[in-house]
Amino acid sequence: MEQTTVQGQSNLVREVLEKGICVRCGACVGICPYFQYHDGKVVVSDWCQTSTWRCVQVCPRLPYDRASLYDYFYHVNDCTDAIGPHRQVVAARSGDKLVRSAAQYGGVVTALVIFAMEEGLVNSAVLTDRGGDLAPKGVLCSDREAVLGCAGSRYSASAALSELNLAIQAGNDRLAFIGLPCQMEALGRLSLSEPDGQERAGHVELKIGLFCTWALDYRALRSYLKTKGIVEIPKKYDIPPPPSEVFIVETNNGRMEFPLSEVREIVQPGCSVCEDMTAEFADISVGTLEGDKQWNTVIVRTDKGMELFEKALRAGVLEQKEIPSSNLEHLKEAASNKRKRALRARGEESNE
Amino acid sequence: MNRISQKKGGTRMLLQANEAIARGALEAGVIFAAGYPGNPSSEIIETLAKASRDLPIYVEWSVNEKVALEAATGASFAGCRAICSMKQNGVNVVSDFLTNLSLSGTKGGLVLVSCDDPGGISSTNEEDARAFAPLSDIPLLEPSSPQEALDMARWAFDLSETINNIVMIRSVSRLSHSRSDVQVKDLPDFDVQPYFDTKVSFHTFPIVAKHQARHEKLRMAEELFENSPFNFYRGPSRPELLVIGSGCAVDYAIDAIEIMSLWERVGVLKLGTTWPLPRKLLLENLQKSESILFVEDVDPFIETNVKALAAEAARQVGVKTFHGRGSGDFPLCGELGPSHLLEFFGNYFDLDWKDQEFRNKMGSLTKGKIPPREFGFCPGCPHRGSFYAIKTALAWDDRDGFVSGDIGCYTMGIWPTGFNQVKSVHAMGSGSGIACGYGKLEGFGFDQPVITVCGDSTFFHATIPALVNARFNNADILLVVLDNSATAMTGFQPHPGTGKTAMGQPTQPVDIAALCESMGLEVHVGDPYEMKETARRLYDLMQKQGPRVMVLRRKCALVQGREGGFPYDMHVDQSLCVGEECGCGRYCTRIFRCPGLIWDKEKKKAMIDQVICVGCGICAEICPQGAIKKEAKG
Ligand SMILES: Cc1cc2nc3c(=O)[nH]c(=O)nc-3n(C[C@H](O)[C@H](O)[C@H](O)COP(=O)(O)OP(=O)(O)OC[C@H]3O[C@@H](n4cnc5c(N)ncnc54)[C@H](O)[C@@H]3O)c2cc1C
Ligand code: SF4
Ligand code: SF4
Repeated sequence: MEQTTVQGQSNLVREVLEKGICVRCGACVGICPYFQYHDGKVVVSDWCQTSTWRCVQVCPRLPYDRASLYDYFYHVNDCTDAIGPHRQVVAARSGDKLVRSAAQYGGVVTALVIFAMEEGLVNSAVLTDRGGDLAPKGVLCSDREAVLGCAGSRYSASAALSELNLAIQAGNDRLAFIGLPCQMEALGRLSLSEPDGQERAGHVELKIGLFCTWALDYRALRSYLKTKGIVEIPKKYDIPPPPSEVFIVETNNGRMEFPLSEVREIVQPGCSVCEDMTAEFADISVGTLEGDKQWNTVIVRTDKGMELFEKALRAGVLEQKEIPSSNLEHLKEAASNKRKRALRARGEESNE
Repeated sequence: MNRISQKKGGTRMLLQANEAIARGALEAGVIFAAGYPGNPSSEIIETLAKASRDLPIYVEWSVNEKVALEAATGASFAGCRAICSMKQNGVNVVSDFLTNLSLSGTKGGLVLVSCDDPGGISSTNEEDARAFAPLSDIPLLEPSSPQEALDMARWAFDLSETINNIVMIRSVSRLSHSRSDVQVKDLPDFDVQPYFDTKVSFHTFPIVAKHQARHEKLRMAEELFENSPFNFYRGPSRPELLVIGSGCAVDYAIDAIEIMSLWERVGVLKLGTTWPLPRKLLLENLQKSESILFVEDVDPFIETNVKALAAEAARQVGVKTFHGRGSGDFPLCGELGPSHLLEFFGNYFDLDWKDQEFRNKMGSLTKGKIPPREFGFCPGCPHRGSFYAIKTALAWDDRDGFVSGDIGCYTMGIWPTGFNQVKSVHAMGSGSGIACGYGKLEGFGFDQPVITVCGDSTFFHATIPALVNARFNNADILLVVLDNSATAMTGFQPHPGTGKTAMGQPTQPVDIAALCESMGLEVHVGDPYEMKETARRLYDLMQKQGPRVMVLRRKCALVQGREGGFPYDMHVDQSLCVGEECGCGRYCTRIFRCPGLIWDKEKKKAMIDQVICVGCGICAEICPQGAIKKEAKG
């Protein structure tokens, strides 16, 4: 293979890991023995010498041509909509109270994953576990209980793509993947990668993306919580929409609030160059519905996503309502702001 | 019966010099022997331990060299003859005791044998332990053949009892491990009755008076040395060049003279008693030639002292030209070999020396016939698993952690076989001592995690004080004891943890984990073969503070090989192996590097070398493609 601009592992290490902008998506982990994820961090364990490099082709933090992904997934050259290409945006929630009570907000993600399994659309799904003594990590789930056990948001990245890589390697088919926007980008890049990216990505039947403004560095979060006297594993985290400016942590000892300004200090540096808030390369993207914690904002993007979503509505697994236009405006504004901040941070001109 | 224990003398035996030292000691009636294993000295105690089955003698592997010499001294104070052996590093350990003992003096003949390792062939240093003789004012003997090793060992006990002080014998690797035909004498009856005479006492006071007495003892020794058969001159009465030397080096000189037919031009003064130097003998011989060449290992010990003597006696012996290591004719370090001598004589006498030609011939004959092998752990070695786990845990931690190393097979952790994890190695126990230092730097902003490693034998030898220090000063240290139930590096000598003594008797083993627990340390026990699990636990331990210990327990592969072997038949499923491709990049042969894994150049896939692989099975865990398969042996 001719070596052009694409370089190997050392490039990824220099440009991403050493610069501290790895967002722990996990795309480079599990496909080779040289990258590993442990306790909230992706590290290099040894030096690789191969001449075919999957790692640099999938990493969402190496510069790549985003237009090629728009083209591949949506057959458009560019997207001027701040929330990415989509079929519809609605408010939705799980029809099941039990799911809602376990979930972060309306439980759309959990409900959809379980439904996709029960319908046979997927055999299993890679989600993010709750973490224990160590940071949350990806986990392969193939039944309702397991999926329910993963409900709720952990505000640090879990490198769950590594678990997906291993699941594919182990021969699993018809998989669902639930992850952050950076992970959807990485999965998208995988589809375009040599030598076998398309085939690998082909095992992923369903991609559900989460909205994301940023994620925290887990090891820093643990130290931070420790300074606040929290040593047990939190039951739930929450960041209510602006203007509340607080980070909420619920443990067995109750609920504590911390100023968001303090928590921003431990955001992963790599998030500052991320331009995607709504997981533009997912089939369905899910976030909170500002002002109503019992509901989700749902962006349905692909035909496949549409089909599943409608089926779920028909089956009563999901309930929907129209999204207030002010919410949609806010969402677009927030998404557009994130993109602008990222482009500025990357030294690229904002084209808006 | 062991031939070393053969009562009757007058016969010849093929003996290694270390065995000859043991036999010499037995001929002198030694009943007590102690030492600590270390190449090239170990066979002395091993030989005596075997002899203990036939003879009424006591032999022990002590916990370290200092304790060994102290134990042997106890026997001497009780009127018995005793011997103590070690390698050069051991003499450093002994030195504090030695410099005091030589003031107090001894009773029963007491001999310290140091086997030095010029070139550091199997050592962590290159050191000339002879320096301890002048430092502690004790006589020094240097054999140059197995026969001399035996004769000197026997005589050293007489000398020790004549001057009432300890005597040092110094051998070197080449000698210790070479064999030749040796004339042996009868063994005595060993009918000593140990008794400590309470009318006398052994201490260093009054110090200056004892120091003076020590010098007087040396003077007595020098007088005896003047007529010693261990020193002799061979050559013409007025040689063009006079060689003065000791040990193997002087033999190499004699060989070179022989090969180059130089006996009419070169004379050799071979010294067997090198401290104190026999002054009269030297002055007499120095007058024979104006050019002097010193040959010795390692430091210019004789050279420096003879130069001083020649300066003092310049009027009598005349002006000299000196050659040797100190004068720059030979390198100041490394072993002196036959080729150094051939080259020197060749240049000095302007003769054609053929050594290079010989080497070229050797090179062309052996080329391609010797498989390349790097310094590495054996197949099945638990240290490979331990270092793999350590490497993994340090990588996960990602704070630039490293390993503070120590002495044992696992010193090889400095090389690729141990994934280059070990970043410092010095003396026995120093890994943990140094870690105590790192462990107190946190207050200054130091946050690199440090793992220190030591073997089970090293743990007992010198790690315990460092660990007590860590507990005492609450240092943040994480000690990993690589417990392979053997003093493996030096040849599987038993140690306090093995439940067996040098003489093969069962003994209550000292439990490392329990000992650490009793010091109030956090202790965990793990299996080096469970690499992932061990890495996980090490990672967790690295996040904690204070002194912590993880004992990684697994028998040395060579011991396991003898005691029932290994459970698996291994093979690589080459249809799964992706070799050089992305997704592997020859992970097993390039990174994991067990010598049992080899690269099939034709197929560009990995394979198992069925001759080398022992079947421990741990590489199955590391193959990213699951291509390395293990099956229970049929
Ligand atoms: C780091 C992070 C930042 C977010 N930021 C925003 C934001 O700014 N605005 C907004 O509207 N929404 C944000 N969300 C999404 C929001 O918290 C909910 O996850 C989303 O609304 C889905 O709600 P739900 O009730 O359907 O979730 P649930 O039904 O509870 O399902 C949540 C799913 O998320 C998965 N998950 C949990 N933690 C992680 C993680 N760290 N990485 C990947 N997957 C995970 C779980 O496996 C589970 O399947 C963020 C989520 C995360 C994890
Ligand atoms: S951002 Fe993802 S692909 Fe890039 S280095 Fe980090 S974990 Fe690997
Ligand atoms: S580690 Fe596995 S895939 Fe890689 S070369 Fe060895 S056997 Fe082949």
